[in-house]
Amino acid sequence: MPRVPVEPRREFLKQGLAIGLAAAVGRSLRPGPLLAASLDPDPEVPNAQVAQILKDLFGDRPIRRGQVLLDMPVVAEDGRVVPVIIEAPGLPMTAENYVKAVHLIVDHNPDPHLAAFDVTPAVGKLSLQFRIKMKRTTWVRAIVETSTGEVWADYARVSVSLNGCG
Amino acid sequence: MYATVGDARIRVPARIQQGDIIPVHAIVQHPMDTGFFRSADGEPIPAYFIQDVTVVYAGQQVAHFRWTSGISRDPVVTFTLIADREGPLTIRWIDNKGAVFEQTAPIAFSTT
Repeated sequence: MPRVPVEPRREFLKQGLAIGLAAAVGRSLRPGPLLAASLDPDPEVPNAQVAQILKDLFGDRPIRRGQVLLDMPVVAEDGRVVPVIIEAPGLPMTAENYVKAVHLIVDHNPDPHLAAFDVTPAVGKLSLQFRIKMKRTTWVRAIVETSTGEVWADYARVSVSLNGCG
Repeated sequence: MYATVGDARIRVPARIQQGDIIPVHAIVQHPMDTGFFRSADGEPIPAYFIQDVTVVYAGQQVAHFRWTSGISRDPVVTFTLIADREGPLTIRWIDNKGAVFEQTAPIAFSTT
């Protein structure tokens, strides 16, 4: 099966950030990481089904944006094969504190909780690549749970041209 | 049109030094039917997909993936592994009908 190139969404967002910074010279600037986060648009409010999934998984723990990188194409022409890359370069992978699970949630898929990946410090770093099906244009959530109970997330909005779920 | 359901391959780097964090690529042939489609003559195609993937390295379970039919057909997955000892790397895929598919790749260190 041919490999589907991943559009460099992260690079695109960074370029957008650079342009935004240039435009914002002279205005009050917040620190870099916060600014970067603020330029990524917020995902839509979870629908009832997604909200229930999040509640079942994480209870009342806050889901903070950061630490996780979800890389997906901005436009997925074929919803049957959409590449996903999830990484968390900033999170430790030691015996005392490690990423223990990664959840992928696709808001408007028939089964939104698409996959969960349980990992251990033996993987060295969190870096996962795989391919999914998407029904239609929607937000995708990559949510990481650490062994200490922290919950981190990144979000991507993917436009789907061809329904891959039937 | 499938090779054979359950045919699986694992790819690891040809040269591994002890302590390297290596990428592991794995693919298994599977239709990953969602249950939402119908065949050409109108019959529903029942759900048929890999739902459980276990990764065992030198006798220790290092990862476990829980999948749905939302994973694309002929599932590929790439992850990393700290190559800190020599031994077999075994991946076991289990589908929703209980079939078990397994593949093993040796993790061995280069001598030079």
